Amino acid sequence: MAIGVLVFTLAFAAGVASKFLVKPAGLQKYDVTWGEGIGTRECDLSYGEGEANRFDLYLPKDDTRDSSGLVVYLHAGGFTTGDKSDDEKMLSWLCSKGYVAAGINYTLRTDGNDASVLTQSNEIKSAMPEVVKAAEAAGYHIDRMAVAGGSAGHALAMIYAYRDGADAPVPVVLTFGAVGPSSFHAEDWGIFGAGTETEEERTAAAALFTVMSGETITPEEIADGSYLEKVRPIAAADWVSHNPVPTVVAYGAHDKMQPFLASKRLVAALDESGVDYRYFEMEHSGHGLQNDDAVYQEWMETVEEYLDKYMPVG
Amino acid sequence: MTRTRWIVLAVLAVLGFVSGRLLIRAVGNMLLGGTLFGGNFL
Repeated sequence: MAIGVLVFTLAFAAGVASKFLVKPAGLQKYDVTWGEGIGTRECDLSYGEGEANRFDLYLPKDDTRDSSGLVVYLHAGGFTTGDKSDDEKMLSWLCSKGYVAAGINYTLRTDGNDASVLTQSNEIKSAMPEVVKAAEAAGYHIDRMAVAGGSAGHALAMIYAYRDGADAPVPVVLTFGAVGPSSFHAEDWGIFGAGTETEEERTAAAALFTVMSGETITPEEIADGSYLEKVRPIAAADWVSHNPVPTVVAYGAHDKMQPFLASKRLVAALDESGVDYRYFEMEHSGHGLQNDDAVYQEWMETVEEYLDKYMPVG
Repeated sequence: MTRTRWIVLAVLAVLGFVSGRLLIRAVGNMLLGGTLFGGNFL
């Protein structure tokens, strides 16, 4: 009896540990640890007056190329937490491929400020010329860029690509990322209690979208649909046709943090625009894309394929 | 130990390993969303 309990307990612990320690073989190559062999790094460069207006630049070892591609990767954190250092492995991987890579911080929403997705997206827009300037000052001539991110960072990346990309300091040729909210239709946001059917749902939608958009939105505006104009500046899906950029995205069908239904609107907009895009749906996963390793690997391989296609190195 | 006892221990080991993985998957699903089965091996 005792040995049976011991065996079960040890096997249980091994099962738990294996979930954390064993990474699928096909994904290990993206797990790059920063080192001088990859290049050099300039941290906490300023792009504005805000405390959070800082970016890190990862410069590849080979600085002899006539021109380089820039990949900006924006951090996750629900617009309220996170830091550019969270993406060190992703930025290191991009730099190891020969790209100038940049992680940009933006002012996070707190109880004590009025930061919104709109102000954050505008900060990102203001950062881009400074990032390019810093790369040029370091001796890397930037001739094109990609903008990417995870979750909140993915939302900001898409907003930049589709809404602001036409004004970018260099052409935006690709956007990629995962689980970023791209539209704000109240009926899609049921995971936050929002909707259009009941007063309670409309009130929840109005409160949520007010915070996110930085515009005061009332339950009445949710009811008559006029709120859509107020959330448009932060709804990336609404901007795809404004500046269609080749896109690679991934979403989890059971996401509890951002509405999976919104990703369908993004796909419809991408379809309508005729732009080259790939959409990966992870049917067993949520916000962490945690239960579909095979599809996750295919998504990352496609990101790499699109980087090679639209931003060939050398 | 008898052969039967070894088999029982092996079954317990498999059950323990699977339960451990399922627990973490269930916790992850509770926080992030997801299904308990399908996709990855557990």
